[in-house]
Amino acid sequence: MSRDLVRIWSRRSRAGFAGVAAVLLALTACGGSSGSSGGTKTYTIAFISQGTSNSWAAQLDAVARKTAKADGIKLVYFNGQGDATKQLPEIDTAIAQKPDAIVLVPLGGAADTGPVERAMGQNIKVILCDSTITSTNYTSLVTPHAETATVPLAQWLADKMNHQGNLLYIGGLPGNTTTTTYDQGFNSVMQKYPDIHIINAGNANYSISTAKQLAATAIASGRTFAGAWGVGGEAVTGMMQAYVDAGVTSIPPIGGNSATNGTMRLAIQHTIQVASLQFPPTSSQVCIDTAFKAAKGESVPKSINLSDLPQYGPIFPPLDKYYKSQYSDDMYVGTDSVLTFDELKAINLVK
Amino acid sequence: MRGYGLPVGATAIVAAVIAVVEPGFYRPANLHVVMQQYAVLGLVTIGQVLVLLVSGIDLSVGAVMNAALIVIALMNHYNENLLLLSLVLCILLGAGVGVTNGLLVSLRDVPPFAATLGMTACVQGAILVYTLGIPAGNIPAALRPVALDGIGIVPYSLLICLAIGLIVVAFLSRGTYGRMIYAVGRSPEVARRVGISTTTVRVSAYTLCGIFAALAGIILSAYIGYVDPAIGGTYNLQSIAAAVVGGVSFVGGEGKPAGALIGALFLLALLNVTTLSSLNPFAQLIVQGVVMLVAVSLFHLVKRGSFA
Repeated sequence: MSRDLVRIWSRRSRAGFAGVAAVLLALTACGGSSGSSGGTKTYTIAFISQGTSNSWAAQLDAVARKTAKADGIKLVYFNGQGDATKQLPEIDTAIAQKPDAIVLVPLGGAADTGPVERAMGQNIKVILCDSTITSTNYTSLVTPHAETATVPLAQWLADKMNHQGNLLYIGGLPGNTTTTTYDQGFNSVMQKYPDIHIINAGNANYSISTAKQLAATAIASGRTFAGAWGVGGEAVTGMMQAYVDAGVTSIPPIGGNSATNGTMRLAIQHTIQVASLQFPPTSSQVCIDTAFKAAKGESVPKSINLSDLPQYGPIFPPLDKYYKSQYSDDMYVGTDSVLTFDELKAINLVK
Repeated sequence: MRGYGLPVGATAIVAAVIAVVEPGFYRPANLHVVMQQYAVLGLVTIGQVLVLLVSGIDLSVGAVMNAALIVIALMNHYNENLLLLSLVLCILLGAGVGVTNGLLVSLRDVPPFAATLGMTACVQGAILVYTLGIPAGNIPAALRPVALDGIGIVPYSLLICLAIGLIVVAFLSRGTYGRMIYAVGRSPEVARRVGISTTTVRVSAYTLCGIFAALAGIILSAYIGYVDPAIGGTYNLQSIAAAVVGGVSFVGGEGKPAGALIGALFLLALLNVTTLSSLNPFAQLIVQGVVMLVAVSLFHLVKRGSFA
């Protein structure tokens, strides 16, 4: 009896093992979840995002995930939580996973330099997305040339101000390289006009509510502003909302970046002259594609200028053609060039 | 009045200095803006004081404010008839978070810092899961007059804040509840021996703090008028700073809500003046930091002197 059982078990177990082995072989032949076999490899890319902080980052993440899926990449997500100090340990954790490449959206230009250099030292390709670090030791930098992209906007604003008067300025995120380069472009124009007096109301840290509170205070100070400038679409939106709520009938021209559907709506609704930079968070598509190429060993450019792409560039009035009433205020102008209606709907961007 | 001496004195000195350095502060339009912003910070600070008095701390007020905005925006996306219901839900949500915080601290002995920080992560996480980081919706137009309109330059939101402040001051200074709050904060063991339910008192303090944070979130949503999911970001630390500047102790059982409200005014005036001054933003931070350090140090010096 017991011998019969052993024989039956042995037959079943042999058949079972054979079945499992066949499944494993089949899986391996298909590429499996990771690793390489039969010439096919699933590449692992660590995506260290700005993270759960604002809708720009959420759209950036959505585009990254879509691109990774299309490329057949295993994307491992690291959440920077919109804070350079919280992002730093995430970079180290990502390096420890030994991915084939890292796509980093740097929140602290100086702070991120060390970890990036450590990753490069371990032969991990590092693609910097939308912002840079204080070293050139990385694989590729994918960003619009913020300094040059900002110049036509600042020039438009200076011209609208007739090169004189007070200019209300609200900054971005201190230490963030995108903020710094935007400022460089803005300052390169404004320093030509000594009669324009820049009144610095503070940094909004890419927050609409902070920008609104700063702008409301500046407007209530009794100064008259011939123009306004905001670093980040959030600052521009906050300033517009502050002017509207303060009941100012003649709102000065406002320049800045990046253009959101809400910026367009407010500008059209309240007849505000706004010039803005179309800088949608679709850059992660190029970043992931570049990381994929670099991981495969293909050569990639050291610098990729997103400003050359059609969905990037300055936007000047009239703004009607940029406003899409079917989408929510949070959609950045141009995001719909990469994400479909259904994909936008899935991330709450359809009204 | 003795406990209010320093905050009142400091505010009077600051008011005089402001009149000289930045007279634009006293323009009615600017005072209106200060009052609008004060209504929010004042409400959060009142709640924070209650928690600090029972030797706790609440780091979830910012998250509750964010959640209030999301509830309002989502519920009124297509139909503004749900405004009242959404406001009630905000209050219930704030109360729920507060009750949970209180129970964690009282019954599970979780340190207040950890309990409320954990609650922040839960609330923020729930917001992100629900909105995917992109909250749709609008702030209803019917809500906005709460923050934008008022009597003369005094916004309705400030009247709400001051009314609640007065009620809390009255309860803490004259009523049984106030005596119980201070007793639990000074010595929970002694409070227990004299028959006070420390759990009930603590839970009630956290619950009120959650409700006031939700109210502040509603008022801030009305003021900002735009869906910003990080609306409450700075209020955790600002409310604690306002309370400490106003003489409320971290160890519990010491300090008065009116002092904290004056501390909130001091803090907001400082932020407003540094913005008006159009100093370099980095220099603004230094000025704010130095003035706050001086204020708190001065308070502790005077307090030590008065007990000597």
